[in-house]
Amino acid sequence: MSGYNPSQRRPDGAALAMAGLLAVLGGVILWDAARLHQTGGYSGVGPGDVARWIGYALLALAVWSGVAAFRETPVRPPRQDAVSVLWVAGGLGAQILLLNTAGFAIATGLLFAFTARGFGKRNLALTIPVGIIFALVVYLVFAGLLKLTLPAGPLEHLFLGK
Amino acid sequence: MKHTLFAGMMAAALALPAHATDYMIMAPASPGGGWDQTARTMQEVLQADGISSSVQVQNVPGAGGTVGLAQFASQNAGKADQLIVGGFVMVGAILTNASPVSLADVTPIARLTGEYEAIVVPASSDIKDINGLVEKLKADPGAVSWAGGSAGGTDHIAVGLIAKAAGVDPTKINYIAYSGGGEALAAILGSQVTAGISGLGEFKAQADAGALRILAVTSDERIAGVDAPTLKESGLDVVLQNWRMVAAAPGITDEQKAAISADVEKMVNSDAWKTALETKGWANTYLAGDAFKAQLDADIASTSTVLKDIGLVK
Amino acid sequence: MEALSFLMQGLSVAMDPMLLLYALIGVTLGTAVGVLPGIGPALTVALLLPVTYGHDPAGSLIMFAGIYYGGMYGGSTTSILLNTPGESASIITALEGNKMARAGRGGPALATAAIGSFIAGLIATLALAFLAPYVVKVALAFGPRDYFALMCLSFITVSSAFGDSARKGLISLFIGLSLALVGIDQLTGQARLAFGVPQLLDGIEVTTLAVAMFALGEAFFVAGNRATGDDQVIAIKGSVWMTAQDWARSWKAWLRGTVIGFPIGALPAGGAEIGTFLSYAAEKRLSKHPEEFGNGAIEGVAGPEAANNASAAGTLVPLLTLGLPTSATAAIMLAGFQQFGLQPGPLLFVTNPQLVWGLIASLLIANCMLLVLNLPLIGLWVRLLTIPKPWLYAGIMVFATLGTIGANPSPVELAMLLIFGLMGYLMRVHGYPIAPVVVGLILGPMAEQQLRRALSIAQGDVLTLVGSPLSATLLAFSVLALVVPMVLRMRGKGQMLSQLAAEED
Repeated sequence: MSGYNPSQRRPDGAALAMAGLLAVLGGVILWDAARLHQTGGYSGVGPGDVARWIGYALLALAVWSGVAAFRETPVRPPRQDAVSVLWVAGGLGAQILLLNTAGFAIATGLLFAFTARGFGKRNLALTIPVGIIFALVVYLVFAGLLKLTLPAGPLEHLFLGK
Repeated sequence: MKHTLFAGMMAAALALPAHATDYMIMAPASPGGGWDQTARTMQEVLQADGISSSVQVQNVPGAGGTVGLAQFASQNAGKADQLIVGGFVMVGAILTNASPVSLADVTPIARLTGEYEAIVVPASSDIKDINGLVEKLKADPGAVSWAGGSAGGTDHIAVGLIAKAAGVDPTKINYIAYSGGGEALAAILGSQVTAGISGLGEFKAQADAGALRILAVTSDERIAGVDAPTLKESGLDVVLQNWRMVAAAPGITDEQKAAISADVEKMVNSDAWKTALETKGWANTYLAGDAFKAQLDADIASTSTVLKDIGLVK
Repeated sequence: MEALSFLMQGLSVAMDPMLLLYALIGVTLGTAVGVLPGIGPALTVALLLPVTYGHDPAGSLIMFAGIYYGGMYGGSTTSILLNTPGESASIITALEGNKMARAGRGGPALATAAIGSFIAGLIATLALAFLAPYVVKVALAFGPRDYFALMCLSFITVSSAFGDSARKGLISLFIGLSLALVGIDQLTGQARLAFGVPQLLDGIEVTTLAVAMFALGEAFFVAGNRATGDDQVIAIKGSVWMTAQDWARSWKAWLRGTVIGFPIGALPAGGAEIGTFLSYAAEKRLSKHPEEFGNGAIEGVAGPEAANNASAAGTLVPLLTLGLPTSATAAIMLAGFQQFGLQPGPLLFVTNPQLVWGLIASLLIANCMLLVLNLPLIGLWVRLLTIPKPWLYAGIMVFATLGTIGANPSPVELAMLLIFGLMGYLMRVHGYPIAPVVVGLILGPMAEQQLRRALSIAQGDVLTLVGSPLSATLLAFSVLALVVPMVLRMRGKGQMLSQLAAEED
């Protein structure tokens, strides 16, 4: 380590980003802890104290991470296919937005199809109907037989006759 | 900003299409808890006795019922087929969580069941009666640790009221909050704390087995089958009932309210309801109409005062 | 022996073909629902409770026992095969189990989990029958300071699950601890890090975080790695069954897991997860193949799986002897008893011995049924991995979200699922271990609450923390667990120092 000049190498960007995130998280926790009333009562340790310990620990980890970013050889993460990941995440987003209006089957069918798209099944004209039918079966089993309360939409009403 | 965003999101997302069911009961808690069981018992009885042809239960858990209450009040205005189960715990939760929606934003129909609190010590304790406990409390409030349910809940409120009635500064009580009845009970049985406070039902079996001593109960009059005085006759003016109720949506007409009240009354008077209460060990404390309204207002006022006294609400 | 004759009587009643059928239906339903991520045994029993309603008490009780053990067991299958734990007690199983499955050894992993669960269930159920009154005395002696000491021990031993880099492991743990702060502080009722969002007041659900980080994070990761195609899973390599060596390495782990899991399950504030953490750490320390840990060591599946089933039986100790429901699952069980007008309590063993022994007999039968049902299915389960990935992961996403939607269909909860899923993905990409985040979320609040309770009872006297023999012993163990490996490393410094240097530069 001695005599080594860190500036000869680019720092590990991911570790630096983590250092930044940890510092922000630690800061938010400390700010939130300061806002709490110290009602530790007889224990002497209130809700803010434990939060503060964690906040300081996060700041320390941020420093450690920052130092490591300059000293350690960055491990190159595996190359990622961002488009695939976005399809899957988008499927979840679609489900969240549609769940309570369109009902479980349609929303979850879209999640199914978008996930399949992310994994390489490109034909949405096939996967969306398959997904909706699959989700509808799941709905009928879980809501119908097991009385799990799942959000119902037009399709569910059609099949449960309500 | 965040608030309105979420409120908007929820309102838009949750505009459920109308069901052809007679009633939709919201249990503002997870499946399995007291409110959920109340809702599901209502469902069973309403259907079995033909008071309603179809009843559904919906669980919206969170923050002492205030999440469910907020959702219920904002989405169901004027809908006569929507009911929500709630209880005394909600009164405290609304205050401690500074909930924007309160019980004034729904239409309370009736109190259904209730349970009184009991103050207990382990059988091995040197405290023999409630006066012994009160004396200890007066001598050194910090030395008396109380195990009970969550902070600001019924049990905590009861301890605050007892301290106040005994002339002890309520902020000085050493209350140890536990999440579930079981965990608190274990701490009491293991003599980890001085005393315990919770619903009588939690302690009854242990007291019958001789593992716990019930010092007092928070009822108005002595309870049959329980060998303990009331707080009132021990000189502490505290009466507290942990009740559960049913409420309807805000903005319904008087006729709609009357119809719901009639259905609930029919349910309460049915044999199926009485049997269900018996098997579950719930006391029937049915109270409706103006009497319930007055009781509710009194409870809200006294809870608000005591929570301020304890220091949980500013 | 009176107890034994009651047990025999219970078993003979339960051997009725009709009742065996109930048991079979119970374990099948329980396993099926328990497999779903986010639906643990508590919710499984709650959902299926009405199914048992209306049957005769004996049949319902047997079905009920089957659902309970089935739900407990079901979580391990998806944990091993798909790296998506069905519930929090199966998280540790995923660590080694999934590595085994990826190497084509999913069959032996599932088998050791099934047989380990069976053996642990058997021993623990017998222990429940004969030792419950003694175990419960110890459990009640556990006060807040003792729990705090147990948490300290868990924190330190579980760090062996952190992977290679201490820095990354600690960062993961502290992210978990930070998430644990969110919500109402239980002891004072004040909200922390809730930012005025009411849905955050109850804190972050362990199951939501676990499902998001494991199931969703895994799906994102596999999708992201599609380009490189280095995520090939081999369905089967070698036999589906356990080899002689697998047996030799598993049986001790099963027994140790049982011995650790049962008493911790019996603790009123224990919890099945803690048993699995401690079992995993113990196996890693004692293994002759420590280098295999992290790459699919069979002991790392056998021990924790045994521990979580043993603790399922342990949970029934306070329930049957004291009427104490100490977990969500036990609370639901209590509701199940009440359905038949029975109040479990200190007198249940005396007033209703047939019932208690009937239940214990049912648990034994359900346990056997589970083995009978699952062993032949292993070959089938393993073939799950041969389903083309688009369909497989689409199905996983549906079931992962189903659990959350079923428990709490709020957009906020689902949004959390998405956010934590992406977080789990990014952490995977950059080599941060996932398990410590969930560990932090589980242990953090327990440690904090018990510490503050202990101090409150002692009115602020810090010495109370070492004031009981139990807490002093547990803390001494924690110190040993922390110091001994350090000393060992100093001794064998050659290898260690070079490793240190490698990390520093």
